[in-house]
Amino acid sequence: MNRNTKVIVQGITGREGSFHAKRMLSYGTKVVGGVTPGKGGTEVEGIPVYDTVEEAVKETGAEASVVFVPARFAVDAIYEAVDAGLKLVVVITEHIPVMDTLRAVKYANAKGTRIIGPNCPGVIVPGETLLGILPPRAFNRGNVGIVSRSGTLTYEVGEMLKDLGNSTVVGVGGDPVIGTDPTEVVKMFEADPETEQIVVIGEIGGTSEERIAEMVKKGEIRKRIVAYIAGMTAPREKRMGHAGAVVYMGKGSYESKIRAFKDAGIRVASTPYEIKDLLK
Amino acid sequence: MKLYEYEGKQLFSSFGIPVPHGKLATEPIKWDGKAVVKAQLLEGGRGKRGLVRITDDVYGTIVEMKRQGIGKFLVEEFVPHDREVYLSVMIDRDQRDPIVVASPEGGIDVESAKDVKVFKIPLERGVRPYDVVKIEKYLNVKGLGDVIKGLYRILVEAEAELVEINPLAITDKGPMALDSKVILEDNALFRHEDLLKSFNREYKQEPYVELEGDVGIIGNGAGLTMATMDMVKLLGGNPADFLDVGGGANREAVKGALLAIGKNPKVKKVVINIYGGITRCDEVALGIVEAMKEVRKPIFVRLVGTNEEEGRKILRDNGVKVYDQALQAIGDAIRL
Repeated sequence: MNRNTKVIVQGITGREGSFHAKRMLSYGTKVVGGVTPGKGGTEVEGIPVYDTVEEAVKETGAEASVVFVPARFAVDAIYEAVDAGLKLVVVITEHIPVMDTLRAVKYANAKGTRIIGPNCPGVIVPGETLLGILPPRAFNRGNVGIVSRSGTLTYEVGEMLKDLGNSTVVGVGGDPVIGTDPTEVVKMFEADPETEQIVVIGEIGGTSEERIAEMVKKGEIRKRIVAYIAGMTAPREKRMGHAGAVVYMGKGSYESKIRAFKDAGIRVASTPYEIKDLLK
Repeated sequence: MKLYEYEGKQLFSSFGIPVPHGKLATEPIKWDGKAVVKAQLLEGGRGKRGLVRITDDVYGTIVEMKRQGIGKFLVEEFVPHDREVYLSVMIDRDQRDPIVVASPEGGIDVESAKDVKVFKIPLERGVRPYDVVKIEKYLNVKGLGDVIKGLYRILVEAEAELVEINPLAITDKGPMALDSKVILEDNALFRHEDLLKSFNREYKQEPYVELEGDVGIIGNGAGLTMATMDMVKLLGGNPADFLDVGGGANREAVKGALLAIGKNPKVKKVVINIYGGITRCDEVALGIVEAMKEVRKPIFVRLVGTNEEEGRKILRDNGVKVYDQALQAIGDAIRL
């Protein structure tokens, strides 16, 4: 993903879709088209709108999409993007039923499409391209890769790291089932020559943080990782805003994540504001 | 949405999982012979509070529990059995497939149980005979096919997050679910209106969780709000709630949030931690000022991001102290 990646916006005629299409365009993202069924032939902010993803791809050569379609229809938008052969689909939409996401992610994986999200802020390569809703003001170009399960917390951390800057920032999404796991992003950062150190912003629920610690222990990740986990004071079995921030059967508790990080020698910040001091 | 035990058992019954013969009561009822009286509450730990009782005097037991403020009871036949096991199904988010969790010890706290095994059953193929055989062998119990298939179907068809039988009694006549814990997935409830109707339940998603402390908390974004709670604790305070006004909150949302927290008598002061990405700080400030007409508790606002100058001016003009460091705002809130 870089400044040349051609992007379409699914749900471009909606309030969120049109607002963020314009914002991405002004950031430098190559937004070449939008899709809203029944609105083909119109324009949003000078961007041509198509009825189907297939048409949009044929006309524009798009390789990626950002989905703003409302929850009840978002899963259809994902299948459509996969079938049109897009390589990357960033799903911003929140409240998609887990069973729908699960099936769609399996389908996409089998067809070789990478899904990021759902319920995510997207991806930014500062100074190059933005696919999603991350606020550009929070991020400068630099060498720290950030992978995060949170939105606003990521913007906070980006803002604090403005001197160091970021290579790529990926918000993987706050849902229990997501297309791209934080472990996969950490592996990509390890292989990315632009990234020198990695910030992991996690939260309670799931075991992706534990699996990152495992990768570090095995020596698969050698770059410096600084981690922060939100949810120390969250009670069990209560959902903390994100559908994915919930601990069932003790799986993915705050304590388990902190223990795993410390065992692997990963530096852990006790507040988000400490992250900067733990980086090189 | 968490179901009551009796609702879960209705669901079990309609998906072919045997449950004891029982009756829902709101008033004392007559019952012949030995029975189990179970208070119907959504929170756990009923056993420890003496709200699950085996008795020959159903009438008297209900009278007594009613005095403790319980309003709904499930009265069930007493089911003699030799053994209890544990079974549940959920989506394993990391393996991205449904799993069955089993333990040969029933009625336990599965988190601390030593003997627990997870069986992955991929969504594409569903429960097959060999899955049942594997689980039966592990638990050393026969005849679990209907129970396992029923659990799996509830997970997939009713779209649940967790379906748990703890304990599952092993009786002479086969397995029987003595308890139920079913959590339906909030985001999928729109597809199950008939189910909600049959339970006479309505559900509204609330981004609000009440906690034990006295420092009210409002943040935007789940991560930032949780981080704010955690920082309150780290600095020696105790959070009273989790309230996320969301990534793009407007004036009304902020006002509503502050009013809701202001009403909680436990809350002595309020910390508001906002990073304005899509959220505009001036909108947030206006919401706070409007709510302050009704909420007379000290408020500590940390506000940065889009339109922060306008937002801060609005707050300062209305006598609210604004911070740019979250830790400072929280520190003052705890000290003052």
